[in-house]
Amino acid sequence: MQPITNIVQLRQLLAERFPALRQFSEQPSLKAASWPTGLAAIDHLLRGGLPKSAISELVSSQLSAGSALIVAALLRQTCQTNQWLGLVDGRDCFDPAPLDNTLLSRLLWVRCRETKQALKAADLLLRDGNLPLLVFDLRLNPAAELRRIPATTWYRLQRIVELASTTLLVLTPRPMVQGAQVRLSLQSRFTLEALMETEEELLSRLKIELVQRRSFAGQQEGHAWIAEAG
Amino acid sequence: MFAVIHIPDFFLQAALRLEPELHSCPVALVEANLPKPVILQLTQAARDAGLSEGMTPTQALARCPVIAIKTRSVAQETAASEALLDCAFAFSPCIEATGPGLCTLDLKGFKDLCCDAMGKKILNRLLQLHLAGQVGVAENPLLALHAARFAHPFLLVENSGEFLRALPVESVEPSREMLSILKKWGIHTLGAFTALGQEALGERLGPEALALFEKATATATRPLKCVHRPETFEEAIDFEHEFETAQPLLFVLRRFIEQICLRLEMVYRVADELKLRLIFSDGPDYEHVFKIPAPTRQIDTLFRMLQTHLETLQTAHPIRGLHLSARPGRATPQQLGLFEAALRHPHQFYETLARLTALVGSDHVGTPAIEPTYRPDSFRMQPVPFVAMLSEQGSTQPHDRMQALQGLCLRRFRPPLPAQVECSDRHPVAIQSAQFNGRVSKANGPWLISGNWWEHPSWGREEWDIQMQDGNLYRLFQQGSDWFLDGVYD
Repeated sequence: MQPITNIVQLRQLLAERFPALRQFSEQPSLKAASWPTGLAAIDHLLRGGLPKSAISELVSSQLSAGSALIVAALLRQTCQTNQWLGLVDGRDCFDPAPLDNTLLSRLLWVRCRETKQALKAADLLLRDGNLPLLVFDLRLNPAAELRRIPATTWYRLQRIVELASTTLLVLTPRPMVQGAQVRLSLQSRFTLEALMETEEELLSRLKIELVQRRSFAGQQEGHAWIAEAG
Repeated sequence: MFAVIHIPDFFLQAALRLEPELHSCPVALVEANLPKPVILQLTQAARDAGLSEGMTPTQALARCPVIAIKTRSVAQETAASEALLDCAFAFSPCIEATGPGLCTLDLKGFKDLCCDAMGKKILNRLLQLHLAGQVGVAENPLLALHAARFAHPFLLVENSGEFLRALPVESVEPSREMLSILKKWGIHTLGAFTALGQEALGERLGPEALALFEKATATATRPLKCVHRPETFEEAIDFEHEFETAQPLLFVLRRFIEQICLRLEMVYRVADELKLRLIFSDGPDYEHVFKIPAPTRQIDTLFRMLQTHLETLQTAHPIRGLHLSARPGRATPQQLGLFEAALRHPHQFYETLARLTALVGSDHVGTPAIEPTYRPDSFRMQPVPFVAMLSEQGSTQPHDRMQALQGLCLRRFRPPLPAQVECSDRHPVAIQSAQFNGRVSKANGPWLISGNWWEHPSWGREEWDIQMQDGNLYRLFQQGSDWFLDGVYD
């Protein structure tokens, strides 16, 4: 066998001997696909929607910022596209009452009582890989429980989601998901008058900031992109 | 033409179906229900060791210390009989269950019947079911039965007279007295027996001899008492020793699944539903039905389904028996399209749901459905609609008819958080609870809601939407004299 003198030859040799590696290297084109949320604030910021086969984190540091409203909007979008939404509810706080049964029939709701249980449920659904979108809601989970999640857990979930075509959106009260490809921050703040407004008006007032975006090479893009729909 | 499938030592073979490796070892089958248990059937290795039918287990152990002694199991014999019939149904629709380990097939209507090839196929199928059989083919059922008993392992009778003449006189099953007389006369074969003549035999030995003569000539045919194709495929076992946990059952269940899948394959069907029944030493039986999302006969898929369930099952009593039955169905073709929203791996999803159910409880996984009431937080959890997930190509309800939301969504506290509320002019002005405290900057309400006044207990409460000084929006309600935080608007 002739000695390898450059990187091109090395790649060819690896591709011949390890076809699986070649398939993996071809995956970025697939990974670049995104899941359109139907929310202008998010789709505009992320140039199409939440990335597939990756973790997106939506940080909502304050309550009454509209994170539950976003979950309802995502459910509406999955229903319109004839898909299914998995919701791992870390604190069993989702309220189905305002939604009609047509929308709810597209929801797989896993009602967890504590963070550890929710992590296991998310792990199972990600390994399953049948659902196109999984929302992992840790917004109301106690800070002490969230602090106990080791960073390796998030890396493990990242590795699992990489192999599936699932889009994982994690709702958190503070930045905590290591390895998230996209980190968004919810900056909107609603007052009591918002309870009388329609969903469309409220969604148009969402303020979302792109805090971090990793490229496939692992580089971080700059932040301070702010989308203010409407 | 008729074919008869004969399973020699049927009771023993039924008992060894789940342990086929024991066929080459010395094994004896005993009837445990008799006052004095005796050996009914033996493997060839046991016979070679000097054992014979009719011995007691103690005598057998004295002659062959390594012998394995099994007791008769009605459940296993039933399952083996059904497996035999399933095998027969793969070759003919007209089947008679002639006896234990015996079934007769009517081969009428078969064009260009190749008996040799068919016989080999039957024997191969039986071997897959862990049954060693013998097949005889002849022009009438009785002759085919004789042929099956003396086949090695397949016999096609072309010249019935020549075949019958060579058979021993025991093959027509005479009584002990009759056999003794015939032996004294020096009659050992059916040829010698029939040579005596029907009239002479009748005069000297009576009606029994006439019946034996009919059997020995085997000229008469008879209609078969056909049985119906089974509606379920069942395998069962009664354990000799009780099991404390469900884990050791997995080995047996794997064998059951293999056998059931094989039987389904023979009739070109798939499993639509599995039913598992555990029989406890005391207490009622445990039964669980597994609805299979996409009917299949893949062994691993079906086994994983059972395994996942058993891993989470806790039994209060020792397990004494195990039944597994499968309802056959037809495979549903599935064509995935470009815009397909159906599940890619329905079995895996079913298994994942089972694991999630084990993790959080059955009432905490599923699809919510709103109850037709105004009572707050009234919904029920429904199982995931697999049929819809598998076949849905589009929503049945137009999207523009979906109800639009009004206001922010609520994140509920389950159960509601008790709170101490300070009021001024009947309006809440400050709240103190285990998690959220502060002064109220704005409050809307009260909203009075109630319901079910016609029954006891009825419900009613006074709700407030409040904004705290830190900007958070909550729903607060008063029930009687107690205040609770219902949730946070988000």
